[in-house]
Amino acid sequence: MNTNGNLVEKIIYDDDIVKKFALATMIWAVAAFLFGLIAAIQIPWWPANLNMEWVTFGRMRPLHTNAAIFAFGGNAIFAGIYHSSQRLLKTRMFSDLLSRMHFWGWQLIIVAAAITLPLGYSQAKEYAELEWPIDIAIAVVWVIFAVNFFMTIHRRREKHLYVALWFYISTIITVAVLHIVNSIEIPVAAMKSFPVYAGIQDAMVQWWYGHNAVAFFLTTPFLGLMYYYVPKVANRPVYSYRLSIVHFWSLVFIYIWAGPHHLLYTSMPDWAQTLGMIFSVMLWAPSWGGMINGLLTLKGSWNLLRTQPVLKFFVAALTFYGMATFEGPLLSIKSVSALGHYTDWIIGHVHAGTLGWNGFLTFGMLYYMIPRLWKTELYSKKLLENHFWTGLLGVIMYYVSMVVAGITQGLMWRATNKDGTLAYPDFMETVVRIVPLYWVRALGGLLFLVGFLMMCYNIYMTIKLAPKNQTSEEVVEVTRTGYTEVPDTTHRKLEGMGFVFSVLAFLAIAVGSFIEIYPTLALHKYITPTKVTEPYTALEIAGRSIYQREGCYVCHSQQIRPIVSEVIRYGNASTIEESMWDHPFQWGSKRTGPDLARVGKKYPNLWHFSHMMDPRAVTPSSIMPNYPWLAEKDTNFLRLRKELSVLRLLGVPYDDNTVANADGIAQKQAKEIAADLEANGGPRGMEKKEIVALIAYLQALGQKGKAQ
Amino acid sequence: MKQEGLKYFTDLHLTSMGLIIFFTFFICVLFWVFRKDSKYFYGEMQNMPLKEQEFTDARD
Repeated sequence: MNTNGNLVEKIIYDDDIVKKFALATMIWAVAAFLFGLIAAIQIPWWPANLNMEWVTFGRMRPLHTNAAIFAFGGNAIFAGIYHSSQRLLKTRMFSDLLSRMHFWGWQLIIVAAAITLPLGYSQAKEYAELEWPIDIAIAVVWVIFAVNFFMTIHRRREKHLYVALWFYISTIITVAVLHIVNSIEIPVAAMKSFPVYAGIQDAMVQWWYGHNAVAFFLTTPFLGLMYYYVPKVANRPVYSYRLSIVHFWSLVFIYIWAGPHHLLYTSMPDWAQTLGMIFSVMLWAPSWGGMINGLLTLKGSWNLLRTQPVLKFFVAALTFYGMATFEGPLLSIKSVSALGHYTDWIIGHVHAGTLGWNGFLTFGMLYYMIPRLWKTELYSKKLLENHFWTGLLGVIMYYVSMVVAGITQGLMWRATNKDGTLAYPDFMETVVRIVPLYWVRALGGLLFLVGFLMMCYNIYMTIKLAPKNQTSEEVVEVTRTGYTEVPDTTHRKLEGMGFVFSVLAFLAIAVGSFIEIYPTLALHKYITPTKVTEPYTALEIAGRSIYQREGCYVCHSQQIRPIVSEVIRYGNASTIEESMWDHPFQWGSKRTGPDLARVGKKYPNLWHFSHMMDPRAVTPSSIMPNYPWLAEKDTNFLRLRKELSVLRLLGVPYDDNTVANADGIAQKQAKEIAADLEANGGPRGMEKKEIVALIAYLQALGQKGKAQ
Repeated sequence: MKQEGLKYFTDLHLTSMGLIIFFTFFICVLFWVFRKDSKYFYGEMQNMPLKEQEFTDARD
């Protein structure tokens, strides 16, 4: 009993799992940053692709994004959640077994991703590239985490749930919903599947997922961590608890609606674009509510920056969060999006968030957490300071170079002469101009990595010099709190009801989700029957799979926006009908190369062959990698019957004969293309090779007749 | 002008519904947060991370 008559209990927190996640965060961070640096060098210097399929930019880029988001970011939030939740709930995690299953399961998923993405197993859906067996594993591991977390809440000794826990709850619920809905796919083979959604439906679901992966994987959990660790380091309470409530509910409610801002000016219905834009602009307020709340927590104690340098990381993180969340709504305004979309401005914006916000907050958290977990002091504050300034310089160089590159390229794309013709009709002119900025970006990335390596050394030495033979299981004394209070208001009742609270959080995201996914349920409203498009042939489907495997969608869009300069450059604006059989859609989100929506029949087969073997042969200043293996590897004709059968199941209008003879029909078309290559001076005997299937697909783009 | 603006809102009811739902929700949250007698409670809540004193809390 303590002096208030409350029962004092002795418990042991599970800090071993926190240590595991903290170290995993650091290990995977090195991989994520290194892959990013390699990808950053591959763009301005094509030889860095090494003519090897496993390391070309198209495969390196998803490897980098997945490593950064799910390996670095994921392990960081798990480390923080396991550490802070036990302390806020005054209890050990519900199950050590589930904790370890979560940890090892997540690491196995990361390893699986690190193996399969370079091998080319990809769904070609941004941030959701992993194939179906890994998708299932992610869902299982996430459920394990959720059960462990919610059962810990159930067993808590603190009646009231601190605001950080609200953010964790919304994260767990929403990520589960996003992942499961976006990953509904039908398998064709062990590592090949087609998503059930097509065209506009897939685009809507994908960016409902993609945007909210940023929202509920890189924002809400990190805000939760911020609400715990900033007050802890500053040793003062959060500036305004009221503000935290208002901004939590507003953020959770609004974020889920904002996905369509990734699809402005596409062939998505205008009402959805407008809705996405309005909610994105509204999002500015709750985002800044969080930033202001974090920064003002330091009100009156900025002197702590001198004595507790780790606070610098939190201040920088919150500042980058504020910048990124100011820029996000700005980029969601249609007229700004018209300039910024598909350019490197977006890449700069994203990295201000991941490197500046997620990166610095994680570093601050680890610098705080690790000496405490190992019961020692940080090895070197000087090294910490050096890490901070090196990393900060790196992020700034990265961000500024990409914003300048993006705006330059956007302005060049739209520039027209007095007679209405394009001022820069050759797309390569707009690429060559920004190549120096790509080098600045790579240098910024290198500095960020160097700073992080300083941290690795600092942490290594901290752990190495920690007292030996210390017990990992420290007994702490806690008292049950809040259970005897009379809940005199609705809020206090709700505060204590984890389940009801979770349901409300789910409802908040469900409303926006339903309305945003409405076009997937009512596609017939947006399609004109007279314009229905012919499906791809069997060989074109084989080529499409190769296109996705090589990550061509990473650099090329297939969506012409109804903007004058784009129509002049590429042809008529894309329509909903054109991509209605596309599983998955390929509208893209970045143009390092030109749009391909109407590239079909624009160049002869031999041009495509030469372009894929050595892009410099047809476009001297091209920065695209070589793809020599496409002329060596055979097309998988045998799988085409199964693929067309699954596509027919999903609604693509193939007749029985086409499905039953898919391989034979494909081989016949391949022979025609191979003969054309040979007749025009190309190599002989290409009919079985993947390059021919890819050429078939490229020549089909924009050529399905009735839609134009 | 009105017609010109509305032609882009082919599903006006969905856009309107979104805004109405959100603003109603937001106003309710505001009323809830700024209700009477909540100051003491929020004061308690915001101190929760600082209540548990650990081994190294006094240093950095």
